Amino acid sequence: MAGSTIDHLISVTVFLGAMLIFISLFNQTLQTAILYQRHSALATKCSDLLDNMLLNPGIPEDWGKSDVTPVGFGLQDPEFTQYRLSPFSLMRLRSSVGEPVYYPRTGLTYSNITMGLGNFLLVPYSEAINYSAVAKLLGINGTYGFQLSITPIVTVSIEEIQRKNPLILSVKVTGVNFPLANAHISYCLLTIPIGGGSGSYPFYTIDYGTNFTDAQGSVPLSFPYVKQEVSYVFIVYAYLGGLMGMGYYEHVTYIGSYIIPFIDDFAEGRMLIAHSYDVHNDTDTAEITYNATFVVLAEDFTLRSMSVENSTGKLTYGIGWPYAYVTIPKNVRSNPGILVITYRKSAQETGVVLMPWGISSLAFPVVFGGDPTGQEWVATDIRQVTVNGVAYQAKLALWSLGG
Amino acid sequence: MPHITIEYTILLPVLILQIFLFPLSAGWLMNIWVDSRRTLALQEAASHIGSSIQQVYYALNHTSVTAQLVTQKLDVPPFIENYQYTGNATLKSILDPELKSNKVLEITLRLETVGTTAKASVILGSNVMWKESTFVSSSANACIVAEKFANGTVCLFFGG
Repeated sequence: MAGSTIDHLISVTVFLGAMLIFISLFNQTLQTAILYQRHSALATKCSDLLDNMLLNPGIPEDWGKSDVTPVGFGLQDPEFTQYRLSPFSLMRLRSSVGEPVYYPRTGLTYSNITMGLGNFLLVPYSEAINYSAVAKLLGINGTYGFQLSITPIVTVSIEEIQRKNPLILSVKVTGVNFPLANAHISYCLLTIPIGGGSGSYPFYTIDYGTNFTDAQGSVPLSFPYVKQEVSYVFIVYAYLGGLMGMGYYEHVTYIGSYIIPFIDDFAEGRMLIAHSYDVHNDTDTAEITYNATFVVLAEDFTLRSMSVENSTGKLTYGIGWPYAYVTIPKNVRSNPGILVITYRKSAQETGVVLMPWGISSLAFPVVFGGDPTGQEWVATDIRQVTVNGVAYQAKLALWSLGG
Repeated sequence: MPHITIEYTILLPVLILQIFLFPLSAGWLMNIWVDSRRTLALQEAASHIGSSIQQVYYALNHTSVTAQLVTQKLDVPPFIENYQYTGNATLKSILDPELKSNKVLEITLRLETVGTTAKASVILGSNVMWKESTFVSSSANACIVAEKFANGTVCLFFGG
């Protein structure tokens, strides 16, 4: 009798154990399958969302060129179709990587896309479009998180071979891991001669030119008229068969005090010019004078300089002339370009800073949205786009907030 | 005697119960999986239809596009696990002040026979109209129809 009971007890236990093992294994397999399907749905959503962002200009269509808050989000250039993005709409996105800059003189905080000293894009938070507002406009607020990255494809690197007598620069154009041989390049060299001009404002000369890269994608350029070490900025656009990129290089003889441009009003094309001491509280408080110009890329791929309103002025830190304004003329405001501001402390101590008007003018990258780090699963999708002719790659990372 | 009682009144019924419990638990787990799979597939279809509607709207809303009627074939499966699904949509005004006069189109898909539902919302501009219509997945002509009028209004509805 006792043997039979033990048999029963063992069989019940074994049966129960088998069932538990089956349930846990089966459940695990099913959960994996459900997760796979969820991730597949997320990938489809990512692709749809990226197209929704890139294939419509938003509402109103010209929100990038104005101060209005869009009521429909889209980045397409309203003057074109397909994957051609507006350089101005991209400029109004609040950067999620740059450290915000607070400027005490205006009491405003600025979204910061700064590509090294001397290349600034600072947009006031009041004018920049933030992540949560865009999530609402896209109808994904609280359900999905995203990060949109727009990165230039063509790299134009410039190396200074010789600083003076003559100035020699080497330009190298590369695509994605390959050199762009026989690419057409169009350049502009803005120099600030020592003691040039008769007034106290910096005097500059501009030289334009074109050339072609060799089989290695490189070309050396010599400027014999540069006899002494001077401050200069070299801007170059390179294009080959519809693929365009741009690069720039600056050399300054003085960086104790310098100019920091802030965007003040998109619709009016107005920039605020600040003294570096008032922004960073550096040690150098020297008074500096400035002279600004606006460089645009014409339809024939040549660079041209345009005058700006209130182009010259004087800045001191703190009191006196804490900041000034320069305005891009109305007739060229709708074109992307580069605001070049030369500054001067003395005849020998000069410098130059750049600010893009339209993100593509200096091929600045844009990172907008949340942080995908630490998310359980992130779907990504990419598109090749152009921004005012400059080739970029748009990448969207999407994750579910629903758990 | 106590051994016989334990054996026949407790252990034997437990064994017999387990014979039924085993397939029942398997079926229960399978149902959870099947429901999740269908819901996800339906949700994906709803989301894709929503995105397609949004893209058609924005394409027509472009100032360079004149008054015209366009149809967009939908890239969604006609059946989800052998069941057809139907859909309808309602257009509502948005109360959120940040979104101003925009409108939200709420799309609801329903898996026929099973009854599973999924919803997706898309935000459209103030110049949009929605014409009452039903989407039938198994229809060979299932599509989105969009008509732009001379005054800039865009009327959307399901075709087919």
